[in-house]
Amino acid sequence: MIEAPIKQAQRRRKPPLSLRVAPYLFLLPNMAIFALFTIWPAINGFNISLYSSSNGRTFRWEGTGNYQQILGDGEFWGIVINTVVYAVTFVLLSIVIGIMLAVLVDQQRRGRSFFRAAFFIPVLISPVVVGLVWNWMLERKNGLLNTFLGTFGVPEIPWLIDNTLALIAVIVVGAWMQVGFYMLILLAGLQSIDPTLYEAAGIDGASRWSQFRNITLPLLQPSVLVVVVLSTIHGFQAFDYIYTLTGGGPVGATTLIVQYIYENGFVSPIRYGDAAAGSVLLFCAIFAITIGNYVIGRKREAV
Amino acid sequence: MAKKRRMTTRLLTAAGATVLLAACAPGQVVGEGSNAEGNPLEVQSVDPAEFAGETMSYVYFTDGPDEQATRDLIAEFEDEYDVTVELEVLPYADLVTSVQARLSGGNAPDVVRLTGLTDFRADLLDLRTYLGEDYADEFLPGPVTGATGDNGELLAVPSDATLNGPFINVDMFKEAGVELPDAAAPWTWEEMVDSATEVQETTGSEYAFAMDKSGHRVSTILSQYGTALVAGNEAVLDTAKAEQALTPLIEMMGDTRMPRDFWLGSGTRYEGANEIFLAQDTPIYLSGNWQVGQFAANAEFDWAVAPNPCAEECGGFPGGKYMAALAEGPNPALAAEFIRFMNTAENQETFITAGGFLPTRADLSEEGVEYPERQEDMDVFLQDLERTPELGYEANAAPAFAGAGTELVEEISKVLADEKDLTTAMSDLKKNTESLVEELAP
Repeated sequence: MIEAPIKQAQRRRKPPLSLRVAPYLFLLPNMAIFALFTIWPAINGFNISLYSSSNGRTFRWEGTGNYQQILGDGEFWGIVINTVVYAVTFVLLSIVIGIMLAVLVDQQRRGRSFFRAAFFIPVLISPVVVGLVWNWMLERKNGLLNTFLGTFGVPEIPWLIDNTLALIAVIVVGAWMQVGFYMLILLAGLQSIDPTLYEAAGIDGASRWSQFRNITLPLLQPSVLVVVVLSTIHGFQAFDYIYTLTGGGPVGATTLIVQYIYENGFVSPIRYGDAAAGSVLLFCAIFAITIGNYVIGRKREAV
Repeated sequence: MAKKRRMTTRLLTAAGATVLLAACAPGQVVGEGSNAEGNPLEVQSVDPAEFAGETMSYVYFTDGPDEQATRDLIAEFEDEYDVTVELEVLPYADLVTSVQARLSGGNAPDVVRLTGLTDFRADLLDLRTYLGEDYADEFLPGPVTGATGDNGELLAVPSDATLNGPFINVDMFKEAGVELPDAAAPWTWEEMVDSATEVQETTGSEYAFAMDKSGHRVSTILSQYGTALVAGNEAVLDTAKAEQALTPLIEMMGDTRMPRDFWLGSGTRYEGANEIFLAQDTPIYLSGNWQVGQFAANAEFDWAVAPNPCAEECGGFPGGKYMAALAEGPNPALAAEFIRFMNTAENQETFITAGGFLPTRADLSEEGVEYPERQEDMDVFLQDLERTPELGYEANAAPAFAGAGTELVEEISKVLADEKDLTTAMSDLKKNTESLVEELAP
């Protein structure tokens, strides 16, 4: 007997259709552009991965042939290992250096804006220029770094010629280029921590390190999660500055998956199907890792 | 529970939509009546007066000084035919993808300047339809090889030729007291390497020899040792000859005579060694005739073009550009007439002398070409052009040449990085080239 009037009241409270539709109408322009320029090309990319084509106009059905070929190619797995090593190291470096810089900048009483801007500047430089400038600095002969080290009697170091050193150089340059951006995210996280927590901990006799470990790090976790997700995506998608810095060399030591995709899609002999299949695999990897990061992060936050 | 069901429904919908969309082919599927079969030749005659008031497009990339000559010739064509030519100058790196995108979008340009026809063979107009079956005879047979289709079609007109060859720093040679090579009696590979080493030792230059990191440039040496990566639709590499040809390079990069870092430090990227030559860090630099204008303008020392060294063969390795009309272009008759106009003896001479290129027309080659500067150096290239073996033209025109060239550079890099020996590298190169040829077979 009582349920009927409640239902009636609920029905009465339901907003009019125009109000219910309004949010979707506001979203429509953005979603239409997103669908046209992101979703549709992505689906089309998956579609192309099932064909082979050298000109983008005539296609031959391959089914999963492109995937089988890529996954059976030893060179591809070498590139996957390079990419994973790069991405993992890049993410770790980005988080560690990003937190260090954020804490240091946060503690500055004077010149905080200056340091924030100074660390952020590399983010604004074109990656192609970053690659060229660092290539010039890391050249074995006449490179800025070796010339500087030479004044202390250090022999010329083949930064871009030795496989391991070249990979290290590429990771360090990548971190240098992006860490300013991550620092800003972490700095915002740091500044949102209530200062009274540190005061209370200080009164209780907690050391600086203990405060950092037990207050800063746990409360910074949401920002760290954002940095982990973004740097993972950046790490797996790195290409532009590496192409101008090392060209993926020496002998493929710094070739990552995006360069593999680029070379299949744009360097003769053009293989659009292989490039598209590589892109789909990269998407799957990034998607899985991002979801994994998100789930783990949310679980920790819940704890 | 409801949440899980909703999630499952969403995922299934997304997967279903993707599969449904994927079921649609992204373009024309091979075997659905593509234009693989050529039509029988039917020469069409068009009255040039019919072109009046029409517009055509020309997609172009520039090597530098040739652009103004092209613009001047276009202005003459527009005056003579009362038409408009829209010149679209693109960066070379974007040319192929841009033209392919235009073709996919049904917006094909009329004429395009290309370095090779591999990516567009099926899309090009058989120019014999408008210019006649004998038109190709006006050009040298070597450059025409690269413009000829599998069924004898004239898919393009070779508009300029290039030839690889060495440059020498005359000042350094004189300082070292080393005799300059004679263009009439070319030096051998051994003599060239000895001269370079002696100049390096005497002058204390950083290197003795430098060359561009490019499969095309390394093919010069293969050609001189009597082999090539590919010819037509075949992998023809003689691994023993290739090994012999590349041994001096590997040895020179093993010590300080050639810049090893230059080769290894740029990965899969092309890298030109012109700056090493301009900085006087090497007495000999192997590149090609397109560098003449740049060196004339920028070199602060006395330099000259040297004849290509001989081994089993002499001469350099050919290259060049083509003017092609796209079959899907809006005005094929006007496009063919434009190509003919740009390649008359008079107009080709204007173009190649401005750009520092070599002629492709038989009459110009026979009569000789007068360049505004560095005539002696261009004559060395012209002399070498006559010595260049036919195999070089066949190799450069082969669909798999560009890809095989990339493989060649990669294999040399592996040898330099001590990942494999030269014998294994050449054997792997042969295998990879064979599979490339198979992949690109028509």
